[in-house]
Amino acid sequence: MGATVHTPHAVLSVDELSVNYFTRPVLKSIDLKIDRGEVFGLLGPNGAGKTTLIRTICARIQPVSGKILIEGKEHAQRQALRHIGLVPQEIALYPHLTARENLMTFARLAGLSQAQSLEALDYAVEACKLVQQVDDYVHSLSGGWKRRANLAAAILHRPSLLILDEPTIGVDIDARNALNEVIKDLSTNGLGVLLATHDMDQAETLCGSVGFLRGGVLAPVGNPAQLLQTFFGDRQEVLVRLREPASPRICKILSDLGFSRDSIGLERRQLLRATAEQQARLTKTLESSHLPIKEIRFRRPGLDTLFLMLKNEENTT
Amino acid sequence: MIAALLKVMTLGLVRDKGALSMTFLLPPLIFVIFAAIFSGISGDQMRLMIALVDNARTEDSIKLVAAIREEPLLRMYSGHIDNEDSLRQAVSLGEVDVGLYIRGDLRLDAGTPPIVIIADAGRAMAGPILSGHVQRLIANKMPGIILGRLVPSIETLAGGLTEAQRSRLEAGLDNLNQQSEDPGREEGSVNGALVSIETHGVRGGSSAVSYYAGAIAILFLLLSAMQGAATLIDERTSGIVDRLAVGPAGVDVVVIAKFIFLTLQGIFQVTLIFLVAWIIYSVSLPGHFGLWVMATLLASAAAAGLGLAVASACLTKQQANTISGFLVLILSAVGGSMVPRFMMPPWLQDIGWYTPNAWAIEAYQGLLWRDADLQALIPSMWPLALVGVVGLAAALVLSRYRLKLA
Repeated sequence: MGATVHTPHAVLSVDELSVNYFTRPVLKSIDLKIDRGEVFGLLGPNGAGKTTLIRTICARIQPVSGKILIEGKEHAQRQALRHIGLVPQEIALYPHLTARENLMTFARLAGLSQAQSLEALDYAVEACKLVQQVDDYVHSLSGGWKRRANLAAAILHRPSLLILDEPTIGVDIDARNALNEVIKDLSTNGLGVLLATHDMDQAETLCGSVGFLRGGVLAPVGNPAQLLQTFFGDRQEVLVRLREPASPRICKILSDLGFSRDSIGLERRQLLRATAEQQARLTKTLESSHLPIKEIRFRRPGLDTLFLMLKNEENTT
Repeated sequence: MIAALLKVMTLGLVRDKGALSMTFLLPPLIFVIFAAIFSGISGDQMRLMIALVDNARTEDSIKLVAAIREEPLLRMYSGHIDNEDSLRQAVSLGEVDVGLYIRGDLRLDAGTPPIVIIADAGRAMAGPILSGHVQRLIANKMPGIILGRLVPSIETLAGGLTEAQRSRLEAGLDNLNQQSEDPGREEGSVNGALVSIETHGVRGGSSAVSYYAGAIAILFLLLSAMQGAATLIDERTSGIVDRLAVGPAGVDVVVIAKFIFLTLQGIFQVTLIFLVAWIIYSVSLPGHFGLWVMATLLASAAAAGLGLAVASACLTKQQANTISGFLVLILSAVGGSMVPRFMMPPWLQDIGWYTPNAWAIEAYQGLLWRDADLQALIPSMWPLALVGVVGLAAALVLSRYRLKLA
């Protein structure tokens, strides 16, 4: 990928960034640009370097080469860092304080005056739809509300770049959807968002563009729909979910039919171009094979399909 | 089933180095320290630091001074003390455990004992111990002195001695003194009026109470500072430090704020201890308020600095709790928070100077008991300030380092 050009709209520009852990390369020539109002999904398996990239952007890790600009300023400058609102993976709040007390504390720590902090509190509470829970102790909030409060604490100083590290980990679907709405609203209001996530549904729902970080390299990068079109075209994914772990005999049958196994072992996937008639024939074949099948589903491949495909590719390599 | 759980617990213990050291290393270490202290108290290893002034300069007094210098159970002060006033001052300043003043000829009965032992009420026990040593040395090395002092009394009661009787008596006493130098001779004991003990410094309050107020204060300062500082690890693991690191505050603010809070908390905590000591035991607090505030501020800062340095160095809260528990126990045992240091063997007393406990106790003793002024207290206050500053600096450096490594 070529060098990233910083545009006036870009809140974050990462250009040819390389980071080593001692002598081992962890990030290799990363290029990345996030514009105002854009949500960029940073995807990749554990240990791929997502957290290292975030920490490097936050000036916690010194790169061996490359350049990072935040709002056009060198990222290591204090002024540049002030444009970042960081939402750590953990609930980075004081559990023995109420949400309001926490937000006031972090507003003051962000350098706001008392009056500005009160104003910022109202803004963050409103933006994160936290009005009802603002006077509850953080330790008494449910997982989803804690996540909202965690997010609210990051936007108090009105950053232009919001970095979220796995913001919906461990929350239920309703809470995740509610949080997605908040993130979407924030980006609509002009925030550039860097979202590191394992949740492919969330990435597909929220992100204008995504990048897969694998072995320290950020590729492919692009709009989710475009990426899916590029990789899968008009192919469909057949998903076979088993009721029980497959025996070697069943594995062989599915393998002969062209299915590959996922990491869990209860699902088999296959990508194919099939007409409705061909789909019906495959379904019949599967049903008549006396396999312990729980579900057969035909669908358009999603980012999770791409994620698994890239991961398998990497493992094979 | 029980065996399976026993295996889990055994593996848990074996793999937790902190728990392992608390369980198996700390107890013998604490035992060694207390064994060294208490064997010294009950046995013959308590080596008092003494200073002496020989005002008589007679043959007997010179011989006694030489015997004292050779006595392995006593340590001689190496500073310059050449008169009674400087001797008394050294005792009252705590530079020596006890002083010995030979004011006149040991053989003459001038109405007052020729040997005066000067002790401070804070170490009152040291007086009788030295008195015992001195009388034993005289009885063993110079037994004639005791009998010689009895002769004038016998003459008064029974009439004067003839020249022949007197010369036989003197020859007998010389013979007795010569026999005392025979190494094969059995030791004896005498009960003479050669020695008097003057204990100084008995005022409204009790020295022991002011000692223990200081000793307990620094012990709890360390305990609460270590506990409070460990919240730094919570903030690190919960991501609060990550969040602050990108803001204008930075990670330094967290460490500095904790240092100030723990110092203030410590001042409040120590105030409560000394208020009780003042109200119930009449420890002289109001008369020394300014210096007491200074000593308390420095002791609290030292504990806060040390606690933060430990917390910054540790990866987990469990690790911090283990190390700080270990450290507080050792520092307090060696530094005199549990047993007065003058009762410890000299090697342990020397190690004690590397603990903030020893300096804090010294500072409180100095200002509350010896009425020491600021100049006299500086030697015991600057090590506390140093511990506080070095601890804070170490905590700042380690916290930044941890942030990079995390």
